[in-house]
Formats: sequence, structure tokens, C-alpha cells
Amino acid sequence: MTADRDARLFVLLGVGALWAGALFGVVGSWQHVVPGIFDAVPFVKARPLHVSLVVAWIFMAAVGGVYYYLPRLVDAPLHAPRLVRLHLWLWVGTGLAILGSYALGRFGGREYWEFPPWLGAVVAGSWLLLVYNFFRTAFKGKGPWPAYLWMWATGIAFFLFTFLEAYTWLWQRPDDNVVRDLTVQWKAYGALTGSWNMLVYGTSMVVMERISGDRSVARSCTAFLLFALGFTNLLFGWAHHVYPVPSAPWLRILAYAISMTEWIILARIIRQWRHTMQGAIDHRGQLVHRFLYASELWVFLNLGLALLISIPAINLFSHGTHITVAHAMGSTIGINTMILFASVFHLANDARGMPAVRVADTRWGFRLLNGGLMLFWLSLIGAGLVKGWYTVMTDLPFQQIMERVVPFLASFAVWGLVLFMGITLLAWQAVRALWWTAPRSTATTRSPVIITPPPTLQS
Amino acid sequence: MERGVPEEEGGGWRAVHRRLIFFGLVVLFVVQTGLTWTSSTRVAEGRGTLDEAARRGRQVYQEFNCTACHQFYGLGGYMGPDLTNVTRAEGKGPAYAKGIILHGTKRMPALGVSAAQADDLVAYLDAWAASGTYPVRAVNLTPWGTYREMHTTDDR
Ligand code: HEC
Ligand code: HEM
Repeated sequence: MTADRDARLFVLLGVGALWAGALFGVVGSWQHVVPGIFDAVPFVKARPLHVSLVVAWIFMAAVGGVYYYLPRLVDAPLHAPRLVRLHLWLWVGTGLAILGSYALGRFGGREYWEFPPWLGAVVAGSWLLLVYNFFRTAFKGKGPWPAYLWMWATGIAFFLFTFLEAYTWLWQRPDDNVVRDLTVQWKAYGALTGSWNMLVYGTSMVVMERISGDRSVARSCTAFLLFALGFTNLLFGWAHHVYPVPSAPWLRILAYAISMTEWIILARIIRQWRHTMQGAIDHRGQLVHRFLYASELWVFLNLGLALLISIPAINLFSHGTHITVAHAMGSTIGINTMILFASVFHLANDARGMPAVRVADTRWGFRLLNGGLMLFWLSLIGAGLVKGWYTVMTDLPFQQIMERVVPFLASFAVWGLVLFMGITLLAWQAVRALWWTAPRSTATTRSPVIITPPPTLQS
Repeated sequence: MERGVPEEEGGGWRAVHRRLIFFGLVVLFVVQTGLTWTSSTRVAEGRGTLDEAARRGRQVYQEFNCTACHQFYGLGGYMGPDLTNVTRAEGKGPAYAKGIILHGTKRMPALGVSAAQADDLVAYLDAWAASGTYPVRAVNLTPWGTYREMHTTDDR
């Protein structure tokens, strides 16, 4: 028995979450421009619906991928395929309960997890099923782990830790204070995004290996150095979110120093730029490559932005503005969603054993997604620059600052619609490719595209 | 280095080194976590500590999801203003905050908060106001790319 079907369902439902989440994003963006529009879903509900659904997409697409690829990578069946189904249904059940609680206006949690806290316990519990299955299966493989297994392992383990840490406010201590509240909360969130990035970057490396057949990349020194750098940033870089919060200064200064190590990655990207561009041109006719190359462009842009706003002197102006939103969505859409679409199309075609989605099917979706995102992203940066400047340099009250920001938010909302069209087209292709019923037997007899190790390594 | 079959595939010392580095980092992280949860985020009494009313206010703030539109120290949703200092800002104050919370404005919906809940919310907001000032308006840059307020927890 394999869990391929459930893995595919994970991904399929994830695509649905992306589409619905983006729809609530459109609702929320227009509410900034036209107060009172879409009153049936006020902003106080639209925002958590948006954020929770799109985060669900990232997790479901990544986790579905792990369940699908892992047995093929270690060349051994999943340790407990039945648990995948349990994980899936627990996840779907909690997801529906969370959406229901938002719809009814029952909150009680904190930013990003605004649902009543007991639902968080179910999320953490179901994650344990993945932890168990992942580690039991991964240790079946022979030889040292390639970089992507390290990435997945850290992503999976640290998500659990940061998720629990984000709930430490439930543990009420006599010396509780708001500085600690906020600092610990953003410590957890910083590592949380770090942990899902580990899952997504690991996935990107896996997809790359599977389409190129080149096993050396994920086992090279460079891959491990980059992993170590990313991991260090996950662990110690989070305090760049809380520069203005009066916690002990060493926390914030350490984070500044650690964040600056990422210039190394930016320099490496620039050094390899020509090579990357050539690759993009050579592979422009290949579906999965296109999405992976697009993600590289967005890594470059978003890493550049992230590095700039991690410099405190600049953060003074950018913090608390839409530049943060540009950073958040630029990365979750440009990098994570792009890589996950690559993975979804690869997985769908692989599971089906035929190219169910081709480049031509995704051309318009791809263009609208990338073009829309670029202008969407620039509009947010513009909004943030205006807001940051007036906030720090003048005494204008909030409403008057916002009057100057609204034109940029209007542009943001318009390009958001274009972006939404792109997502709709791509989501439709993904659903079309994933939505089929495999004859019961094929999944076990056919073993698609397992990359056999070179003969020297087979003991 | 990146081409062909890498030499470390067979295991050996490289794999051991990797594990050492990895677990070394994890140990440092545990230390940092311990400090962040305790001494590095301790404040003087009355400088952001929560009394009973403020604790209830924190709960109410979460139940009404005020964070969807508001920030503390710049963190939160962006439809509404930052609330860090509202109860102590010039021309504002506790009564002003309570009024808006109860009745809303043209742009902020009245969310159905009761008078008792509004008092708790104001106590909670006041704990924030006592903890420091945001935004940092003085541009006191250092040669290291930081600003002076970042190097201290004193009131600005
Ligand atoms: C849908 C978004 C939204 C939600 C939810 C919301 N607010 Fe507001 N709030 C606003 C906006 C917008 C303003 C600015 C109003 C104006 O200037 O007319 C505001 C203003 C305020 C102010 C005055 C701030 C100042 O400096 O003048 C306070 C205090 C406040 N809100 C508290 C709260 C509390 C407490 C909650 C939760 C119970 C809450 N708000 C929920 C949008 C929101
Ligand atoms: C379809 C177009 C989209 C629109 C119009 C849109 C709009 C919005 C809006 C209005 C906000 C709230 C900003 C605020 O608080 O003022 C937001 C936040 C956010 N969105 Fe989107 N969104 C879209 C797509 C996406 C997608 C596809 C993702 C990820 C896969 C995403 C990830 C996020 C995240 C992580 C946040 C939280 C940002 C923060 O807290 O700083 N969005 N989005």
C-alpha cells in the first residue's frame, strides 16, 4: 500500500485553499480602498481567512510533496501509509473548524493563529503524525542524508517547536509583561516562516534533482553550507522583526549581525546570474523549470529587500508599514508559491505517468501571476515608503498619512486582481491534473521515475 | 566540487562534522530561548507588567481580533493605527480610547465591546504605553547602521 493518493489529496486541497485564500485577499485589499465594501465579510474576518488559508496552502502542498517524494527518495515505502490519511482528515477537520470559527467571528488566538487555542492543539497533534512517519521513513535510506532531507527534517521539527512556542502565552506567569509577550511571539513567528521555508526549499531541491537526474547538487559542500547559513538565520535572525521593542539590546543586535550573513547568498546569486539566465533561456520550454527559474528571480528581489529592511537605520522607516506586507507576500507568493507550483505540476504529471499539464496550459497563468505580482509588490513598497516617511519625519495624524497612502493601495488592489486571475488559471490546471482516480493497482506496481543511485554507491 | 559523485557520500568524518555543527547550533538556540523567555525580556514593575484588568484586556483584545487592524510596536495588521502609546499620547488618553472602542468611528467598526470589557482593554493598552515609545521619531543613527534607541531599554 502506498499513500500516493492521500498525498495527492493533500496537494489538491492545498490548491483549493490557495484559491480561496487569494479570494479573501482580494476582498481585504479592496476594503482598504473602498471602506465598507463586501460588508458580508468584514476585514476583521477577511484578514485571518486570507492568511490562514494561504498558509494552509503552503503547508499542504509541501507536506503532500514530502509524503509523495520521500519513499521515492529513500527507495523504501512510507513507514505508516495509513497515518497519512489520518493526518489528512485531521487537518481537513481542523481546517473547517477554523474557517467556521472565523466566519462566526469566534477568535481568541493571536496574529496568524487567531482561532480559539484548543484548535491549535489538534494542529500540533496531527503534525506529530508527520514527525513520526517522516523520521521512521527517512532513516530507512542508506548513507548520509542529502541536504534536502536535512532541510525537511529541520522544517518539520522546528515547525512543531515554534508552533508550541507561539502558544506559550497560555502559560500565565506572574512576571508576564507586554515586552516579553511580543518578543516571544515574534521569536516564534520568525522561526515559523524559517521552518516552512526549509520545507519549501527542500522541495525545490528534490524537484530539481528529479528533473535533472543530477544527484550531486544536493550532496555538495555548497548545499550544506547554504543549509547551515539558512538554519543559523532561522535560529537567531528573528529579532530583526522586533528592533523597536525594548527587550535586552543583545537580542536585537545579534539578529542584525546574523541577518547580514545573508549578503553571502545574495552575492552568490549575483555571481551566478549569467549562468542562471542562460539556464532559464535554455529551459523556457519546460514547465517545471519555468516556475523554478521564476522563483530564483523572486529570491533575488525579496532577499535584497529583506536585507535592506534588516538594517536598523532603514528598518526605522520601513517597520510597521506595507513594506513588511510586500516582504511577506513577495516571499510567500514569489518564492514559496512559485516553487510549490513547480512541485505540484511535477507531482501531478509524475503520478499520472504522463504530461497532464504542459507549458502551453500554464502560459497565461504564469504571466499574470508574475507580472501581477511585480506591480502588486512595487505598489506595496510605494505605500510603505510614503507611510514610513510621514510617520517618522512628520507629526501628521494617522488618517492624513493614510490619505497619501491610499492611491498606492488602490494600485495594489488592482494588481491584486490580476494576480488573482493568474492564480485562478494555474489552480485550475493543477486541479485538472490532480483530479483523477488511479486504478487501485497501478500505484503499487508502477514506480515512476525513481532515480537509481550510481552503481558505485549500491552496496 | 559540485560535479560528479561527491566523496563524502560514503559517510565518515564529514557526516560527523555536520551533526556536530547542527547540534551545536541547536544548543546555542536553547540557551538563547531560555534567556528570551526570562531575563532578557524582564521589565521593571509598572513598565509593561500586566495587572488583573490588563490580563483580562489582553484576552478581550484577542477575542475581538483587534490585531487584524492594529499594531503594537509596529507589529500587526495595517488597516488602523499603531496603539502602543494611545492612552498616553498628547490629545488622546484613556477616555478617548474607550470612546473609540465603544462606538467606533467612520473607519473603525463598533465591535460590540461592553463597557467593562472596554475598561479592561484600556488597562491593557496602558500597559503598552508604560513599556516604551513607538514609533521612534528621533533619527539618531550610529556608524554601525543601528539607531541609538536600539541599544537601550531606557525610556526615550
Ligand atoms: C476593521 C479594522 C479594525 C478593527 C477590527 C479594530 N479597529 Fe480600532 N481602529 C481602526 C481604524 C481604521 C482606526 C482609525 C479610526 C479613525 O481615525 O477614524 C482605529 C482607531 C482605534 C483607536 C484610536 C487610535 C488613535 O490613536 O487615535 C483605538 C484606541 C482603537 N482603534 C482600538 C481598537 C480595539 C481595542 C479593537 C478591538 C476591540 C479595535 N480597535 C479593532 C480599525 C479597526
Ligand atoms: C490574490 C491576490 C492577493 C491579495 C489581493 C492579497 C491581499 C492581502 C491583504 C490585503 C493583506 C493584509 C494586509 C494588511 O494587514 O493590511 C494580506 C496579507 C498577507 N498575505 Fe496576501 N493577498 C493576495 C495573495 C496572497 C498569496 C497568494 C499569499 C501566499 C501564498 C499571501 C500571503 C499573505 C501573508 C503571509 C500576509 C500577512 C502579511 C503580514 O502580516 O505582514 N497573499 N494579503
